[in-house]
Amino acid sequence: MSEKLAAELRTEFGKGYARRARVAGKIPAVIYGHGADPIHVALPGRETTLAVRVANALLTLDIAGEEHLAIVKDIQRNAVRQAIEHIDLLTVRRGEKVTVDVPVHVNGEVAAGAVANQEAVTVSVEAEATHLPTALEVSIEGREAGQHVHASDIVLPQGVTLLTDPETLVVNVSEALEVAEEEAPAEAAAEAAAEEAPAEAPAE
Amino acid sequence: MLIPRRVKHRKQHHPGRSGAATGGTKVTFGEFGIQALSPAYVTNRQIESARIAMTRHIKRGGKVWINIYPDRPLTKKPAETRMGSGKGSPEWWVANVKPGRVLFELSGVNEEVAREALRLAIHKLPLKARIVRREGGE
Repeated sequence: MSEKLAAELRTEFGKGYARRARVAGKIPAVIYGHGADPIHVALPGRETTLAVRVANALLTLDIAGEEHLAIVKDIQRNAVRQAIEHIDLLTVRRGEKVTVDVPVHVNGEVAAGAVANQEAVTVSVEAEATHLPTALEVSIEGREAGQHVHASDIVLPQGVTLLTDPETLVVNVSEALEVAEEEAPAEAAAEAAAEEAPAEAPAE
Repeated sequence: MLIPRRVKHRKQHHPGRSGAATGGTKVTFGEFGIQALSPAYVTNRQIESARIAMTRHIKRGGKVWINIYPDRPLTKKPAETRMGSGKGSPEWWVANVKPGRVLFELSGVNEEVAREALRLAIHKLPLKARIVRREGGE
């Protein structure tokens, strides 16, 4: 269930150390929770990247011979290269209930003439730390316009409690609008506005 | 076309081109998005052109978000004018885009249509870009 990773305790801090660690193929991370002092560690880059591909990944960290169970709280990535720059880990205990945001995956196709728009991409749930769902599935197969999906419609696995307001709109199913019609006048207006625009701007 | 209604200063210095985007780097509203990989000044005409390319391709349904706004004026001196005599007149409105920034988002259509729509839109933009998917998506 949980991925085992060998973590090294960090004694140096700051961007200088963090950059050297990343060059060496490691990921700086911090573990906190349960009122204990935070533990700064360096994780193996490749194994960690693979382990945290799923949402709310549970990790078993081996820190100087001591095992720590933790879930991923936050991941900082380089916006362009998508490489992981830092990970926040939250200490958990076996059997402990934790609150996490779980992604909602929408399956199926709506009825002809309708269009689905996912309004909420995650829902907040409470579940046992060792049995966290990686995603929640919701089907919109054949739904007509107006047959929306609310948080209460999501089928939750056993032992998982919904914390998000049950009335929260998850998938909005509405009538598809014809976009081609609105384009022509919008274009014409835009052309006219563009000619005038810079000159129209008020003086300082 | 996107144009500021009123501005505090008509003529501004050129926006800085260095560095990467610090915000707006994730797909937040839609399912797919266009992420810049190089810096550029994107004009309001280019934004509109990309939007039209996308909406024409998706035809019915789908929703498009524009995450950038052309709020910086660029000036130009007329052709064959001697140097001096003050700054030129405002000519373009641009959005200062830096690498990593998500420019457009799209949802409500299947992956094939979305990727083709975004590909067409990228061709209207003056920068290198890629198609990205929302984190935690299928």
